[in-house]
Amino acid sequence: MENLIIDLQSQSVTVQAIAVSVGGLIGVFATLAVFFLIIRLSNRLGKKA
Amino acid sequence: MQELLIGFTSVTWQNGVMYLVGLTLILLAILKGYEPMLLLPIGFGAILVNLPLASVLSYEGEPGFLQVLFNAGISTELFPLLIFIAVGAMIDFGPLFKNPIMIFFGAAAQLGIFATMIVATLLGFDLKVAAAIGIIGAADGPTAIFVAGKFAKEYLGPISVAAYSYMSLVPLIQPPVVRLLTTKHERRIHMEYHEASVPKWIKIAFPIFVTCVAGFVAPISVPLIGSLMFGNLIRESGVLERLSQTAQNELAYLVTLLLGITIGSSMTADKFLRLETLMIMGMGLVAFIFDTAGGVLFAKLVNIFLPKDKKINPMVGACGISAFPMSARVIQKMASEDEKGNIILMQAIGSNVSGQVGSVIAGGMVLALVPLLAF
Repeated sequence: MENLIIDLQSQSVTVQAIAVSVGGLIGVFATLAVFFLIIRLSNRLGKKA
Repeated sequence: MQELLIGFTSVTWQNGVMYLVGLTLILLAILKGYEPMLLLPIGFGAILVNLPLASVLSYEGEPGFLQVLFNAGISTELFPLLIFIAVGAMIDFGPLFKNPIMIFFGAAAQLGIFATMIVATLLGFDLKVAAAIGIIGAADGPTAIFVAGKFAKEYLGPISVAAYSYMSLVPLIQPPVVRLLTTKHERRIHMEYHEASVPKWIKIAFPIFVTCVAGFVAPISVPLIGSLMFGNLIRESGVLERLSQTAQNELAYLVTLLLGITIGSSMTADKFLRLETLMIMGMGLVAFIFDTAGGVLFAKLVNIFLPKDKKINPMVGACGISAFPMSARVIQKMASEDEKGNIILMQAIGSNVSGQVGSVIAGGMVLALVPLLAF
């Protein structure tokens, strides 16, 4: 991971922006996917209770 | 004698242009009703700060009242965070709990942030400034101010004005983009809505879980998501009704008032009348268009995998932007226009509140990732 960051630091600004975009979108989807699972789990527990 | 006339002799044509900019914002607020709570104070602040000698910023070596407010509320990021507490107290996540799949539209509709950031770098902005411009696509004023305050203080004025202006223009921006990307048949898709009560403990636990998860994934986003979820916890706890009401009303109004006029104080002619301001305004529009397209196209993608009777009306995807509740209302209106009696409001609201969470998470991602590459 550190190698990737070091490599990106020497790239053009646009390549860096693309990297941030890919990482950012993956991060947002992954975080909201965790929230999705929390809600689904809560809903199931709520129905059982 | 010269000192008596200094107010007249020190005014420049650039100041004159800024009076017109300020007046335009005030008129848009009053005559068109575009985000009046923010555009009016921003407009007046822009006039104040461009009056001769700008004594609201500094006078005889002492900071003026707008500079004091700027240092206390914007430089420290206090104002946007207080607004988030108020916004959190206003959000009801109920519609999202009933349609949890909607949460993914809150992610897809952040596409505009990242697409615009790439465009900004192509136009010559460095990564930090490009990220601050891209965050206009969060469609979320406090997040835009927070990120711009960290990465591009010199562009705080245009970025804030663009964010709030385009938020108020959602009813004009979203419909043509949605129509372009969907067929009439798709816009007529009906969605079932199951009215089921959400247990209270879920509503209480959700803001705590969300804050903790965000804290592990992107620790730098904790001030944003933490204040938003703190407001929501006050609301849902059921034991702090008066605090919840205070956050939703007095706190929201007071901080909004101070935030607007303080943002206006960053609009001095030398900082605002630049080619970059026009570019930022243009890119703000690009951000909102990409946001809308991202949400709609993602809904269409999801539909490929869903059975025929469970298809999602792709217009709901457009509500994944954070402009709440305006976007949901716009999409419901479009659904009714295409087919009378087609009610998708609750799903649209579920997607819209997801956008509020998604925009904050996206802001946190930008704050976490950009400093790794740009020093």
